[in-house]
Amino acid sequence: MQNPTPATPLLKVDGITMAFGGIVAVDNLSFSVQPGEILALMGPNGAGKTTTFHVIAGVHSPDHGTITFDGHEITRARPDRRCRAGLARTFQITQPFDELTVVENVMVGAIAHHRSMAEARVEARRYVDMVGLSERADILAKGLSTGQRKRLEMARAMATRPKLLLLDEVTGGVDMASVPGLIDLVKRLRGEGLTLIIIEHNMRVITELADRAIFMNRGVRMAEGTPAEIARHPEVIELYLGEDDGHG
Amino acid sequence: MFQPVKPSQWLVIAAAILVMAAVPLVTRNSYLLHVLILTMIFGIFASAWNLVAGFGGMKTFGHHAFFGIGAYVSALLSIKAGWSPWLTIWFGALAATGAGLFIGLPILRIKSMSHVAIVTLGFAEIVRIVISNLQTITRGELGLWGIRPFEGFTLPFFGEITFSPADKVPYYYLILLLLIGSTAVIMLLMRSRTGLSIIAMRDAEDAAESLGVNLTRQKLLVFAVSAFLVGIAGAFYAHYISILTPTAAVGIDLMILVIAMALVGGLSTFSGPLVGALLLTGTVELLRDLDQYRLLVYGAMIILIVMFLPKGLTTLGPVLRKRFASR
Repeated sequence: MQNPTPATPLLKVDGITMAFGGIVAVDNLSFSVQPGEILALMGPNGAGKTTTFHVIAGVHSPDHGTITFDGHEITRARPDRRCRAGLARTFQITQPFDELTVVENVMVGAIAHHRSMAEARVEARRYVDMVGLSERADILAKGLSTGQRKRLEMARAMATRPKLLLLDEVTGGVDMASVPGLIDLVKRLRGEGLTLIIIEHNMRVITELADRAIFMNRGVRMAEGTPAEIARHPEVIELYLGEDDGHG
Repeated sequence: MFQPVKPSQWLVIAAAILVMAAVPLVTRNSYLLHVLILTMIFGIFASAWNLVAGFGGMKTFGHHAFFGIGAYVSALLSIKAGWSPWLTIWFGALAATGAGLFIGLPILRIKSMSHVAIVTLGFAEIVRIVISNLQTITRGELGLWGIRPFEGFTLPFFGEITFSPADKVPYYYLILLLLIGSTAVIMLLMRSRTGLSIIAMRDAEDAAESLGVNLTRQKLLVFAVSAFLVGIAGAFYAHYISILTPTAAVGIDLMILVIAMALVGGLSTFSGPLVGALLLTGTVELLRDLDQYRLLVYGAMIILIVMFLPKGLTTLGPVLRKRFASR
């Protein structure tokens, strides 16, 4: 790792293995994330990024290995417990609460910290403003565009006041024009003192955002380093970037 | 739903309560009061089912079990133990709550709603069969009769209040109070964090859980509240009708009728199940003259409403406004 004197990591993934039937999706993977860092998980389809993400988020329990977050082992904790501990996530395929308004969607995240619904609403509105959805605050979430839904996902997750935010393909499925805005938004989240893990395909996004990237293939780590180092890594180029230069 | 109640909405609520409270002052027609009492029993039942199935999105088809359990437990305690119905109705409701938690726990883990429907339906059928076979206690299909009515009491300014088949007015006011209480409980619950959580859970369960919603706790809570309310409606029914049979108190017909009420009135709304209960209970009675064609007309009416107002009668206003605005 880059850091000569690593602080206590916020997240420590230790030797996780996860198999589905006979297929080993993640094989003995270990890494840690320092406070304030943005770590990118990259790799081709089927590399095990999403499984890793799900194991950290609590969707799956790993077959082997442990996950330690903020000093507590959370390997088998339910997602709602992880959320209360300060770990939030967004969904690649956005999951808005269709019949709630945008503000109410964000309130679902905010009620964890508020006794009163009125207070939760005030705080929710702040995050709605922060992600730039102020004008849509009172429409039902089902009326949002894809890019707006991604923003809503972030506002909701932020409302839980996380220490670590997992972002699953923030720019996936979004038109090119919306990408810079989303990148700016993620930078602003980091400005709030947040630690982030992002899954991302778009090399430009990774270069702009990530401090460090882990390149995965077939469930194992193939390379690790700064985005620039990863982009120069021969095996990575062969596997991923070489075929599609336009990506970068 | 989570915005403060507007003055105009308070006005509608106050007007509805006033109109209902004024009916016995205008007419003491025993038949009309009976129909309205049944309407209010069904109003509680349909609202409570809507809490779980509409707001909560859990498609349970076995709520008639809670109605029957509430009715039989309250009736049997008052007969066998000699306790006052004023007390036993709460035990009936608690028994229904217990049953709700018992069936609620396993179905929480089932993600497929059609399976939830079948499991709950099966559970209710088991309850019905057990009640019909426990003849030494429940008298089975012969019917449990001689259920004690509520004891009378003296109210200042009103004098002696007696609950008897001859005078339906006390029953009318009692069930009106229970209906107001149930509706208030449902509205307060839905406007709270729990309400927000269960709607979130219905729309996107994984997302709700990732935002800190404890799915098990919230689902069990609404299931228990719903079973309690249905149980109290069942218990009131027992002491009002004073005779229970498994078919009448735990029959599947009851559940189908209640589902129809919620759908016709409007699922996931506060007023929908109440409007549906009024319309369908009322229509059944109005159509009695049609004799065997009654069910035909009744069915056609439900189909028409569901076809043209899929979100229920309570959306009639907005739908019409849209129609006229677009011309």
